Amino acid sequence: MHFIRFWRRSTAVITAIRSFQVKRLLCSVGSEDDTIFALSSGQGRCGVAVVRVSGPASVLAVRSLTRGLPAARTASLRSITHPQTKELLDRGLVLWFPGPGSFTGEDSAEFHIHGGPAVISGVLQALGSLPGLRPAEAGEFTRRAFYAGKLDLTEVEGLGDLIHAETEAQRRQALRQMAGDLGRIYQDWSLRLKRCLAHVEAFIDFSEDELIEDGILNDVDTAVRQLQTDIENHLSDQRRGERLRSGVQVVIAGSTNAGKSSLLNMLTQRPAAIVSPTAGTTRDVVEVPLDIGGYPVLLSDTAGLRDTTDSVEQEGVRRARQRVEQADLSLVVVDLTQLPSEPQRVPVFLSGHLKSILEHSSHRRECILILNKSDLISTKHKRSIQTALEEAGDVPPACFLSCHTQNGLDDLLTMLQNRLKTLCGDPLIGSPSLTQTRHRTHLQNSVEALYQYHQYRDVDLVLAAEGLRLGLTSLGRITGRVGAEEILDLIFKDFCIGK
Amino acid sequence: MLRRILRFPKTCFTCSIASNVHTQHYDVIVVGGGHAGTEAVAAASRVGAKTLLITQKMQTIGVLSCNPSVGGVGKGHLVKEIDALDGVMGRAGDWAGIHFSILNRSKGPAVWGPRAQLDRQRYKDFIQSELLSTPRVTILEGSVQDLLLTVAGPEKPERHKVYGIRLAHGGEIHSHSVVLTTGTFLSGALFMGQNMSPGGRMGDPPSCAGLSNSLKEVLGLKIGRLRTGTPPRIIKNTIDFSLTVIRLPDSSPTPFSFINTNTHCKSEEQLPCYLTFTTPGVEKVVKDSSHLNSHIQQDTKGPRYCPSIESKVLRFPGRQHQVWLEPEGLTSDLMYPQGLSMTMSPEKQLCLIREIPGLQRAKIHTPGYGVQYDFVCPTQLFPWLEVKSTQGLFLAGQINGTTGYEEAAAQGLWAGVNAGRTSLSMPPLSLSRTESYIGVLIDDLVGRGVTEPYRMFTSRAEFRTSLRPDNADLRLTLRGFEEIGCVSEQRYNEALRVQAGLNEALSTLQSISLSAARWRDRLGVVSISETKSSILNGVEVLQYKDVSFQMLAYAFPELFGLYLEFSERLKVEALYRPHCDKQRREMKRMQAEESLSLPQDIDYLTLPVSLSQEVREILDAMRPSTLGAATRLPGITPAAIVHLFNYVHRNKHRAHGKTV
Repeated sequence: MHFIRFWRRSTAVITAIRSFQVKRLLCSVGSEDDTIFALSSGQGRCGVAVVRVSGPASVLAVRSLTRGLPAARTASLRSITHPQTKELLDRGLVLWFPGPGSFTGEDSAEFHIHGGPAVISGVLQALGSLPGLRPAEAGEFTRRAFYAGKLDLTEVEGLGDLIHAETEAQRRQALRQMAGDLGRIYQDWSLRLKRCLAHVEAFIDFSEDELIEDGILNDVDTAVRQLQTDIENHLSDQRRGERLRSGVQVVIAGSTNAGKSSLLNMLTQRPAAIVSPTAGTTRDVVEVPLDIGGYPVLLSDTAGLRDTTDSVEQEGVRRARQRVEQADLSLVVVDLTQLPSEPQRVPVFLSGHLKSILEHSSHRRECILILNKSDLISTKHKRSIQTALEEAGDVPPACFLSCHTQNGLDDLLTMLQNRLKTLCGDPLIGSPSLTQTRHRTHLQNSVEALYQYHQYRDVDLVLAAEGLRLGLTSLGRITGRVGAEEILDLIFKDFCIGK
Repeated sequence: MLRRILRFPKTCFTCSIASNVHTQHYDVIVVGGGHAGTEAVAAASRVGAKTLLITQKMQTIGVLSCNPSVGGVGKGHLVKEIDALDGVMGRAGDWAGIHFSILNRSKGPAVWGPRAQLDRQRYKDFIQSELLSTPRVTILEGSVQDLLLTVAGPEKPERHKVYGIRLAHGGEIHSHSVVLTTGTFLSGALFMGQNMSPGGRMGDPPSCAGLSNSLKEVLGLKIGRLRTGTPPRIIKNTIDFSLTVIRLPDSSPTPFSFINTNTHCKSEEQLPCYLTFTTPGVEKVVKDSSHLNSHIQQDTKGPRYCPSIESKVLRFPGRQHQVWLEPEGLTSDLMYPQGLSMTMSPEKQLCLIREIPGLQRAKIHTPGYGVQYDFVCPTQLFPWLEVKSTQGLFLAGQINGTTGYEEAAAQGLWAGVNAGRTSLSMPPLSLSRTESYIGVLIDDLVGRGVTEPYRMFTSRAEFRTSLRPDNADLRLTLRGFEEIGCVSEQRYNEALRVQAGLNEALSTLQSISLSAARWRDRLGVVSISETKSSILNGVEVLQYKDVSFQMLAYAFPELFGLYLEFSERLKVEALYRPHCDKQRREMKRMQAEESLSLPQDIDYLTLPVSLSQEVREILDAMRPSTLGAATRLPGITPAAIVHLFNYVHRNKHRAHGKTV
């Protein structure tokens, strides 16, 4: 009985939500003029990631990142570049779904890209840099689809629970975060900003016939400035927290037969990759998730880089190069026996070699040189190479290793750990890092709004207060909504207002 | 151009003072002649309703029961909006004002607070003549014993309908709707020291218990209790003003009303106010007498922001508090000590004021006292101020839990408009938070309820940069004529003229673009910088602090000379326009949510929709009128909103299907 009632209701919902009025409501439950984007596949450690875009500016998003609109509903392989910096972010499949024949009923697009966190956040940031685009709130795609009448009956039935689950999950997640250090920081900022706003509002509403101390606005100026500094410092953490969540991408690269796969097997302590004396054994990318000194690492072994006519190996080399592009850290393996015999020439040789493997100079900074097969050269020769490298200075940190005898493994692990520490940030020291792109966006908006306060402070106090209000609204999207009553409560707590 | 002269209403007695009303029938009956009641009567008659005002005493119509002033920050916004809807308060203020000042001059035009000290007699005279000269209005002196109630319809036995009132001295008067504006008279009790007596205002008889009883027992309305108070009045020539700080009014008074260009009081006739402070001696008197003060010992909620001197001293000890000495009128020999509301015994009151510099020899004319009164929890009202469960019954003013003349008048106006409209079979209307402070006020009341007397502050308005005192006419007068029907054609035409002038001037400003250097040359202003962009249009230049529209008009007389009368308004428009544009989308979202009304007969507790018990209880208790109001309730989840939305749509769809 109940089921039938529900069924009827659901059909009615579908009919109703297709009606014209729903179009108007679209802008009532979230500002659906916006175009939203989000990573739709799971977080981290995946081969392919799907970034979804929905809303009127989807066309703009596809055009700006890929130059030109592909045919509708057809997978097309495209280069994805950052619209401002023109930097190549990835090559991947781009799909274009003009509305209303899309999941959400709006114009939408999907970018199927490689799963590295660097690539994903690169694409997300590129999208975020476009006007009219913002990160989606949890469940927003489903909600839009629902409003557009795009979900079938069973989905509609499940939707209530789904949204419940989402908001519950959001709430639990928020609670979890709020209980942690991050939550304490956000709450503290929110409280500080609330107090600033309360003092400005008190000054606006009451200073004409009440005793509001004259210096109060100066105190607010100082407090707002301090808050800006704190949030900005927090934002400039180079995405450490996001890395910590999804794992650091470490890639092993180098020429054929340098011992890359041996290194992988040694680090994973199992024969994860096939090792043979034949050059070009590794064709595809081999990925192994690892825990190094408490840091999550996604370690990948790649094909040796060389010119080849073998088409399979060519593809392997292409993938290797791509993986190197996306990596947070590269381990470049060099066969010691292949170095020039005069130690003085080694630094120049290595620099040239690195350039051929790591095309971007930025990648050369995030790299460790692993001089393998140290068991095959004399201790004296090893030492003179070391001295030459130290004198040269401009070569990345290097480490002698023998995958055969495991000699030098401890040094390598220590070096790796130190690098991971800087990449991820030590969660136990200093301020906790940002864990969500969503938080980043809201914090950035908040800081921008605080600038408005200073900009208008001496021009028009209402516009200055507007900056604080906007800043608080943005923070409130993380910590919870702040209403006028709460501000008034603070005012009456701090001041004796009574005419 | 319309000739704008300040007018005192001609007392031509088009309205009748009723003597025998037994056989009469009215569209609207308004009970109470305070600020809410007078605006309600005037508004109902403006929309075309035949209206009866019942008051206990003719002479108390338009009385300023407490402070002799109107306006201020936030409150001034309300006065401007009341005026924009053709209400009485602004014009009465212009007539009766004896000390005009714009508060918050230094803080931005969006929060300027037009305010005036008033001559009590003049204010009352103006209001009374205004009502006496209003067509379709009848005034009756009498006491209302009870409401005449019946069942709304056979299908809704739980819903009542009002059809008139019963007078205390016998007789019934019938009407389509009744507006109750009983102020503090609903089960009112006056406190002074340890004495308590029934009443709503010192010197006036208490109102009948029947009304209070009907609201509670028959209609089952949820009632709360609040308190307020008033200070003693002090004899002017016993004050030593040399020990106080003088505060002069603005040298050129600015009228409240959009249709007045000057005030009745000439600038040189204006009277000053005086500032003095409390001392530790005041604190001592309060503490020594608190055991003899029954008002403050009770825990009835008083306002946090207009507390008695007793509660200020007890809550914030060791501080100095401001006391403003305000004139009560041009010829009055009394002063009103703002900030000294008190309920202790008259002897103690005298001891207290004599601890204050300037008042050491002062004499009290009438002592202060406290009032406790019933209010109807306003969540039981529709946004058009009609009681949800009782068709035709409207409430406005302190009965809804507010404090302040302006708050009362604003509600009175809106209740009057809707009582008039519904009695003439026109649909009721609501004002949005996005278009007016009146909308914010009413939405806060009916959407969230009150826990203490509600007062308007600018911080309550989300869209403060758009809802300004200077543009209340553009926001409300046009709609007031075209849709609401409470604005005269003359005022409407004036608003149209102003709107056209402003728009022309703004597009002319936008059409002229020069380099920063050229602007500097033409205007002689050095601060115009080239940091933003080298080419600036007129609106952008006008945003500079030391650029005025007059300067532009002087430099380009052929372009801007025509618009000199709008100089100030153009400057304000230029300053806020970019921000208002940014806010527009957020405003649209809010309006869309507010346009989706939730049926009032929803049984939230059994609604076959997936809602948590907690959410159901909140919705059941608050019964939001619109989806927008629901989103602002604390504790309502996004999921609940989605479900409600579906429910509403389904119902709409069905209802639609029926009519087609």
